[in-house]
Amino acid sequence: MSLGKVFALDKVANLFNIIRQNGGLRGVLYKLYRQDDIKDGVLVGEDKYGNKYFENPRFFYGRNRWVEYADRYHLNYDASQIPAEWYGWMHYKTDLPPHQDPSRPKYKWMLDHTENLSGTTGQYTPYSTTRPKIEAWVPPKSA
Amino acid sequence: MLSSLRTGAQGLWRISSRALQTSSTLQHDSLFVHRDTPEDNPSIPFEFSAPNQKRVEALLAIYPEGHKRGAMIPLLDLAQRQNGGWLPISAMHKVAEILNLPRMRVYEVATFYTMFIRKPIGKYHVQVCTTTPCWLRGSDAVLNAIKEATGCEVGGNSPCGKFSLSEVECLGACVNAPMVQVNDDYYEDLTVEDTKEIIEKLKKDEKPKAGPRSGRFASEPLGGLTSLTEEPKGPGFGVQDALKA
Amino acid sequence: MLRQPLTRALALGSPTRLAPVTTRRYAEQAQAQPEKVEVFIDDQPVHVLPGTTVLQAAALAGVEIPRFCYHERLAVAGNCRMCLVEVEKSPKPVAACAMPVMKGMRVKTNSDLTKKAREGVMEFLLVNHPLDCPICDQGGECDLQDQSMAFGSDRSRFTDIHFSGKRAVEDKDVGPLIKTIMTRCIHCTRCIRFASEVAGVDDFGTTGRGTDMQVGTYVEKMLLSELSGNIIDLCPVGALTSKPYSFAARPWETRRIDSVDVLDPLGSNIVVATRTNEVLRILPRTNEEINEEWLSDKSRFACDGLKRQRLVTPMLKDSRGNLTPVEWEDAVVAAASALRDCPPDKILAVGGEMADAESLVALKDLVNRLGGENVCTEQYFPMEGAGTDLRSSYLLNTKIANVEDADFVLLIGTNVRFEAPLLNARIRKAFIHKETDVAFIGPKVDLTYEYMHVGDSASLVKDLASGTSGHEVMKRLQSAKRPVVILGADQLKTKEGAALLSYTQELASKLQENLQEKDWKVLNVLQRTTGQVAALDIGYKPGVGPVLASGPKLVYLLGADAGVVTREALPKDVTVIYQGHHGDQGASIADIVLPGAAYTEKRATYVNAEGRAQQTLPAVTPPGKAREDWKIIRALSEVCGEGLPYDNLDEVRSRLAEISPALVAYGNVQGNNYFAQALALAKSVQRPVSGKLDVQLKQLEDFFMTDPISRASPTMAKCVQAVLKQKQSPY
Repeated sequence: MSLGKVFALDKVANLFNIIRQNGGLRGVLYKLYRQDDIKDGVLVGEDKYGNKYFENPRFFYGRNRWVEYADRYHLNYDASQIPAEWYGWMHYKTDLPPHQDPSRPKYKWMLDHTENLSGTTGQYTPYSTTRPKIEAWVPPKSA
Repeated sequence: MLSSLRTGAQGLWRISSRALQTSSTLQHDSLFVHRDTPEDNPSIPFEFSAPNQKRVEALLAIYPEGHKRGAMIPLLDLAQRQNGGWLPISAMHKVAEILNLPRMRVYEVATFYTMFIRKPIGKYHVQVCTTTPCWLRGSDAVLNAIKEATGCEVGGNSPCGKFSLSEVECLGACVNAPMVQVNDDYYEDLTVEDTKEIIEKLKKDEKPKAGPRSGRFASEPLGGLTSLTEEPKGPGFGVQDALKA
Repeated sequence: MLRQPLTRALALGSPTRLAPVTTRRYAEQAQAQPEKVEVFIDDQPVHVLPGTTVLQAAALAGVEIPRFCYHERLAVAGNCRMCLVEVEKSPKPVAACAMPVMKGMRVKTNSDLTKKAREGVMEFLLVNHPLDCPICDQGGECDLQDQSMAFGSDRSRFTDIHFSGKRAVEDKDVGPLIKTIMTRCIHCTRCIRFASEVAGVDDFGTTGRGTDMQVGTYVEKMLLSELSGNIIDLCPVGALTSKPYSFAARPWETRRIDSVDVLDPLGSNIVVATRTNEVLRILPRTNEEINEEWLSDKSRFACDGLKRQRLVTPMLKDSRGNLTPVEWEDAVVAAASALRDCPPDKILAVGGEMADAESLVALKDLVNRLGGENVCTEQYFPMEGAGTDLRSSYLLNTKIANVEDADFVLLIGTNVRFEAPLLNARIRKAFIHKETDVAFIGPKVDLTYEYMHVGDSASLVKDLASGTSGHEVMKRLQSAKRPVVILGADQLKTKEGAALLSYTQELASKLQENLQEKDWKVLNVLQRTTGQVAALDIGYKPGVGPVLASGPKLVYLLGADAGVVTREALPKDVTVIYQGHHGDQGASIADIVLPGAAYTEKRATYVNAEGRAQQTLPAVTPPGKAREDWKIIRALSEVCGEGLPYDNLDEVRSRLAEISPALVAYGNVQGNNYFAQALALAKSVQRPVSGKLDVQLKQLEDFFMTDPISRASPTMAKCVQAVLKQKQSPY
């Protein structure tokens, strides 16, 4: 065990490393504002929506893979914006990211990923198929 | 394997035992609702003829005021006779009108009695008794002979439209079995030949002689009297001497 | 004064259940009671009048004997044999419904023989009864189901699964109200007896005989009766079921709320069956004083009109003159400012045919507080003479139940059969069972029984009143011990109405003077609508004519849909506020529409033609934004700045009690008097009458659609079509 570790000097070094990796003080403040967390890690890949996937085995299992959502989502990000290809990697179902996995199927009929639209105007609302119990009077329209 | 065989066999037995109890449909050959037909619908007028009008009055006169509906069956019978042996719906309406009753009350009576026939019928309504005594004396042969001679099926009319054939229950002439009734006349003690002759005569609209065909006058024994052959005893026969005046 | 709050408290405690059990006095006075005989039902002694049947005696002893064909209000048929009981010393079981009791008779309703007999009858009934209970609408309220559970055998001998002779009968088409599945029929003949005895339409009967016997009409014919729905209730099995209600619900799923009918002036007692906030059907509730256990077809089947053409949201006229939905706030503010800005004497408030007493009183109080006096009803009633000051001049004073005991009924210009079907059923009952005679002045109509047609001229009433008439009716009236004169309220609308009423009053009081029973009431006026009596009690002026002519600036229609107020009759700049539950004539001319509640949706007081106050109970909630009527007016008054002094229903009813105690004496009729005084006041308006009396509802097809609810009902529309079609048929 080095002396640096005893005095937790490596943590300080890590902090500087993280600050550097996240684009300086401005970048760190922006990331803290946006995602309450700053981490250092290896950029594993990026999906077509601009989300960046990172990995750092220094963190314990479960927190060692993460995503930074594309800037255009700003604060409106949520987990359903991770496309299906990256879902497996994020959830440790596979260690191969999609661009390194040759066995991923790719068909013409596969739909583009859509995020969960609940709570938005695009959400699915079921409609009643039964007749209304009360039929209201419709006043005659004068021409 | 063996047990399933046994179950199968038992099942078969159960089915067959139930099949033993299967009963047949028992439905009347006539319909108890009215259907409008070209021959029978309420727009065909019905009026009692002038002589029958007199009979209607006579019939009504039998029943006291307030009980005129008692004349319903005689009036319906009169209407049926006037209309050639069957009762159209307009005749029922006419009777209801005469008796001042709801039409339904007349329909009820007309459908209750099998002698009111509510569909068109031939001029000669041949009713063959097929109840046990007649059947034992050969009513089946008589029935077949009539079917052959007229071309009727039971419950139907002949192709010429002159005859109608029905199978009926006992007409009360068992002593003279087998027998048929044609309209109002009984023809009794029939053989197949007799039957054919009757039908042939009817075809020519001649009236065959009604009654027994065996040479009997009525229902006396065929081979002559076997009892009551002596002279009738006079009054006082067998009375005690002491009581003889 | 002390009696008031007490009666109200009682009435509130158990609403309309308080239907009085007062037996009819007149029937019992008729003859001296013969001595009672003692019989033993299961060794329990009972004293009954001779002539009572075993079944009735058993009922008195608290023993119920199963039955199918027997019905208390119909003739005894004795053909179902379910009521067989063992009678000691009788070799065979006897039919309890047809067997009169004899002295010392010992009936065993629970012996082995009786049980065996019931099981046997039940087995024979079930042999030809289809096993379709799961798809049968009667399931759950079926006498056959219940009684086969209670009295049937616990096992079947019907192993003959290949039996093909099970009876099958074709279904009959008897109109759009009654669905028939005749295979289920067990030939109890209750429907036949009802049709011929109560409804007076002899179209049902049995045809054929033996195993082929069927109940039906023989020919294709609709049951042309205004009481036909009752045979659905009478049918002990699922052979006759309600067509509009078919496959809608099971009886155990529905909530049943006791209520009162408002579609005819009699206020029949009903049970509203609801499920999931929807009125599914309406059934009659027994009230011996009013409807016995019958109900007219309109009251029973018009309930689907409660789901159509409803006003569910307040509406205001927009700039283009179209009614558009708005929030309550906007509508109330608009209505209140219209009320406030209008000169008080230019406000016209009209109480409609189905308005309840609470909303009527609230509206009148509001208008009065604003300074206006013009609160009117749609129906006219002559104000000359006594007018509406004396209650006896606009009520059915004899009372519905007592009509049965009358020995001569004179109907003046009223087709009772369609204006008040159950009153007509009473008259018919008296006609059949008591040999009451009926005379009729008016156009020739079918009342289901024979009557003396006097003529249709109004002057006949004058002749009868003055005693100069040579008609036979005069003699009959004078010799009658309990005469009843019923005058149709429709006749009072004309100019001669006042004189006609006066002559009728004179006739009635002359007859009354000669009576031995001094408390027998002769004079009756049959109102056409439910709201009229309450409105007149509260002090509404009958008829809108004079106010309408003076050109009102604001018209407040409280459910007024009869078409007496029209746009053509109103000045151009008038504001019309309509408050009610259906989009009908009133709403279509309105500038502001306030959605109210229908009679199944509110607790409200209605006063029937006898003057009997009864209350409805809320069975469902008002649809959409609709609210209880008196609350709407209360809210309006607050915004007008003239807040009415009541905040809950009890306080409104206290106000009603202040006006007239009769309005809150639920279930009771207060005796009416002052006939002589009314006549004395009316004498002055007697003048020659020459018009012809005509009635509005002449034929069955006129009967079905008379008010906003029944006009909105598709079932009623089907009825009208079916009746018109049946009239084309030769049967």
